[in-house]
This record gives sequence, C-alpha cells and structure tokens, in this order.
Amino acid sequence: MTDNSTTTTVAEAFGPGPAAHPPTTVATNTGVTPSPVQSPRSRMVERTIGILALVGTIATVWLGIWVTPPDKVQGDLVRLVYIHPGVAWVALYLAFGLAAVSSLLYLWPRTRSLFWDRLAAAAVEVGVVFNVCTLVSGSIWGRPTWGVWWAWDARLTSTAVLLVLFLGYLALRRVPAEPEVRARRSAFVALFAAVDIPIIHFSVNWWNTLHQGATVLNPNLSAKIHGSMAWTLLLGFVALTLVFVWMLLVRFRIGVLEDWLGANELDLALAERQSEGTGPLDGSAADRVGAA
Amino acid sequence: MRYVVAGYAFILIVLAVYAVQLVWRRRRLAQAVARVAGPVMAPVATDPAAGTVTEVAP
Amino acid sequence: MWRDAALVAGKDLRIEGRSRVGLSQVAPFGIVALVLFAFALGPDRQVMAKGAPGLFWVAVLFCTVLAIQRSVSVESTDGARDGLRLSGIDPAGLYLGKAVAVAAQLVVLELLLAIGVVLLYGARIEVPWMIVVSCLLGTVGLAATGTLYGALSSGLRVRETLLPFLFLPIAAPVLLAGTRIWQAAMAGGTPAAGMQWLRLLVVFDAVYLAIGVVLFGPIQETA
Repeated sequence: MTDNSTTTTVAEAFGPGPAAHPPTTVATNTGVTPSPVQSPRSRMVERTIGILALVGTIATVWLGIWVTPPDKVQGDLVRLVYIHPGVAWVALYLAFGLAAVSSLLYLWPRTRSLFWDRLAAAAVEVGVVFNVCTLVSGSIWGRPTWGVWWAWDARLTSTAVLLVLFLGYLALRRVPAEPEVRARRSAFVALFAAVDIPIIHFSVNWWNTLHQGATVLNPNLSAKIHGSMAWTLLLGFVALTLVFVWMLLVRFRIGVLEDWLGANELDLALAERQSEGTGPLDGSAADRVGAA
Repeated sequence: MRYVVAGYAFILIVLAVYAVQLVWRRRRLAQAVARVAGPVMAPVATDPAAGTVTEVAP
Repeated sequence: MWRDAALVAGKDLRIEGRSRVGLSQVAPFGIVALVLFAFALGPDRQVMAKGAPGLFWVAVLFCTVLAIQRSVSVESTDGARDGLRLSGIDPAGLYLGKAVAVAAQLVVLELLLAIGVVLLYGARIEVPWMIVVSCLLGTVGLAATGTLYGALSSGLRVRETLLPFLFLPIAAPVLLAGTRIWQAAMAGGTPAAGMQWLRLLVVFDAVYLAIGVVLFGPIQETA
C-alpha cells in the first residue's frame, strides 16, 4: 500500500500492524483535503465561542425583554430592535461579505485554495438562516409599526433578493461535481450576486421613492437610544455575531468532513462492507482489500 | 408585546434548531470518518480552521 | 476578438435561421404569456394598460430564459463546446458573439411583444424613442447576463430548472428600469422620470459586459 497512491487504504486501518497512520490527504492541485481530525486547540476555540455566544444571547434576551424599559415612542416594540439589526447585520453584511470575499479569494490564482470555497459555502448557508430571521423579525416588527406585513422598500427587497440569490448558490452547490469545478461555479455565482445586490438596492430605492415621495419606511432605530437600551443593542450585535462565528466554524468543519469523505468514498464503502462482514478481520481480509 | 415575543421566539427557535442540526450533522460525519480511518488515529497538529494539509508519508 | 465575435454570432444566428426555434417556439410562448396575463388581470382595459409596461418586460424576461437555454443547448451536442474551445477562438469573442446572437433574437421578440402589448392591452405610447432605447439597452443587459449564466450552468443536467432561478434575480434591475422607462414614455407618464433609469441601464450593461468579456474564459473552463 505504500506505493504512489496517497490514500490510506482500509487495510492500513484494519490490518494487523500497529496503530494506523492518520489518513493521508488526497492531493488536488488547488488545495488539499485537510485532515478530518480537529485539533484540540481549535475544538476549544469553537467551544469557547459557542459558550460565549449562548451566554450573550441569553443575556440579550433577558435584558431585552425584561430589564430594559419600553420606548417612549415605540413602546414595547423597541425590544425587537435589540435583535433584528443584529441578525440583519450578520446576514446582509457579515455572511454575504464573507462569502463574496472568500469567493474572490478562491478565484484569484495566487490565493486559490479550497479553504476559501468551504468558507464561502459555510458563510452562505449560515447566512441564509440569518437572512430568514431578518425577514421574519423585520416583518413582525413592521406589522404593528407600519400596519403591513411587508413593504417594498429598498432594504427589505434587497434582503429578499439576497435570500433568493443565496438559495440559488446553495442549489448550485448541490449539483454533483468535482470539488474544484463546484468551487469555481459557486464562486462565480457569488461574485455576480455581489455585483448585482448594490445595483438592485439602488434601483429599488429609486423605484420606491419615485412613487411614495419621501416616505421613509426605515426600520432603523431612532438616534436617541441610550442607557441600558444602547448597551443591550450592542450586546445583541456582539452575541449574534458570536452565534454566527460559532455556526460558521461548525459548518466549515462539516464541509471539511464531507469533502474528506467524498475523497475517500471508496474506503468508506469498503469499511462499511467490512463492518457488515462476518467475524473479525484478519490478515487475509486485509490482503484482499489491500490488493483491490 | 405578543409581537415582541413572536419575534424573539422565531429567531431563537430557528437558530437553536439550526445549531442542533449542525452539531448532529458533524457528529454523524465524524462517525463516518472514524469508521473509514479506524479507531486509532494520531492527533494531528494542523489547525483545521486554516485548512492546511497533513502530509504524512505512508 | 471582434472577428471571433462576428463569427460566433453569425453561426448562432444561422442556426436560428435554419431551425427557427426562436420564431416558432419562443415567440408564441411570449404571446401566450401576454394572453395569460390578460386573463390574470381581468378584462378591465385600464388596469391592463397600466400594467402593460411591467407585463411586457416580464414576458421579455421569460423569453430571455428560453433564448438562453437555446443558446446553450445548441452547443451541448456532438462535443461542439469542446470543439469551440479547441478552435482557439478568443473566449471574449465567443462571449460577445453569443450575447449578440441572443440580443438579436430578443430584439425581434420584443418588437413582436410590443406590438402585442399595444394591441391587446390598449397601451398608448407617447415617446417612442424612449421605448426603443429602453428595449435596446435592456436587451443588451439581458443578453450579457444571460449568456454569462448560461455558460455557468451549461454543464449541468439540471440546467432547465436552475438557470431561471439563478438568472432572473440578477435580471431584476432590467425589469425595474425597463418598466419605469416604459411608464414614463406612455400616456400619462413623465418622460423626465425615465432618464435616470436609462442611465441605470447603461451602467448595468457596461458592468456586466465588462465582467463577461473578462471572465467568460475562466467560466468556460468550469463547465
């Protein structure tokens, strides 16, 4: 098995020899499948961020719903302002921006590595979740405030279009393909979406204001937010950003594992077949597998 | 106020469900990897978040 | 590059001329769309006249999707795509050629649909040159982006369902701008309001044409 092939075969894992080597990587020309084993340090980082995110979110909810006072103008509805801009900023700027930049970095020859592709994919998927949260929370806030569940202003519309573009990206990634091919395709789609979103936002802004004059359907908070409300708002931003980062890390990890399994599909199938087999594995089984 | 509760509930539930799904997915994949590579694997020194390579000479 | 573009455009248009798919399938589809819109909006002529600009452009968008699909599928048989790449044709030229061919077909379709809209919906056009310019600019934008997305999805078996989903949101600014310009150019509209939308279309066209010329080569290698 120690020939030119760079994949560790099942034989080495199940064979009679001493402890197996960690699986070697499958070489591709644009970035190698990293090890599927997560280093303890990165595991700890992820766990810490996760705990901070959880604590922060709980704190935000507690402060937002119980501790802070109702607003003079908006009443209790201001409480939604503690979380809605948070998810919106994550979905529209953090996730989308990260996906766009990662896609660009993947396409750029000097920095081409499947790492960026995985990062972009993770960012988009988590971004979709936050995007849906943004639209729904915004809509829920809008109903008692403006009287409508939906308004065609630039921000809401752009968010909806971004959702559709993200979903298109994810749909495209589902199409079976070589990792590099899929990465390139996805990167291009992300790039075009990144170019189009500002244009759409701009156009819808015109489109709307031309009809409704100076109507400002602005979901933004008033400038006079202060005291405990301001702190809660800030906490909301931070907590939700941490939630995003944690989800990104886990989703990225999932991407790594999926790619590794994809590259070692044959070994996986063999392992599963072996585990169905009768009796313990002995050298003969290993030899047979090794010869395959 | 029920709008506020509805808003918070939606966001929290969606995020929680997604988080659980992520963790479950990762666990399932890690189990699959363990089945392929065998139960004994040397800890690797790379930081997977950096996506760098483990090159181990066979 | 320009010579290659002319070559490719000529090829695509000749294929269209011989097979007449655009004329016999896409155009009738456009007409059907107009009829269905009429059914959807009810017999009130005033409502239809008001909605005419938007309906026109939506019909154009749908026809664009079909035209792009056709443009891509023309090369999916007999390894024609690989043949094109091996022939040493400049990718930018290939892109422009295909886009021009699609644009040409779209212009003809738009003429047909415009006549249909005027006749069927009772739309009254006051500033014809704006209509014409908006159609030309919009067509360029649709052809530019559509050819890009066609190339991106050319290798996929699920192209039929994926291409509309990917392409139409990107084409939304053309729909917005085109509708606004038409509304400005019709009876009861203010032409001045349409001017900034024309500028938007110019920007949109320039941006995506530039992207296409530069990136078409790398995109092709993906498919």
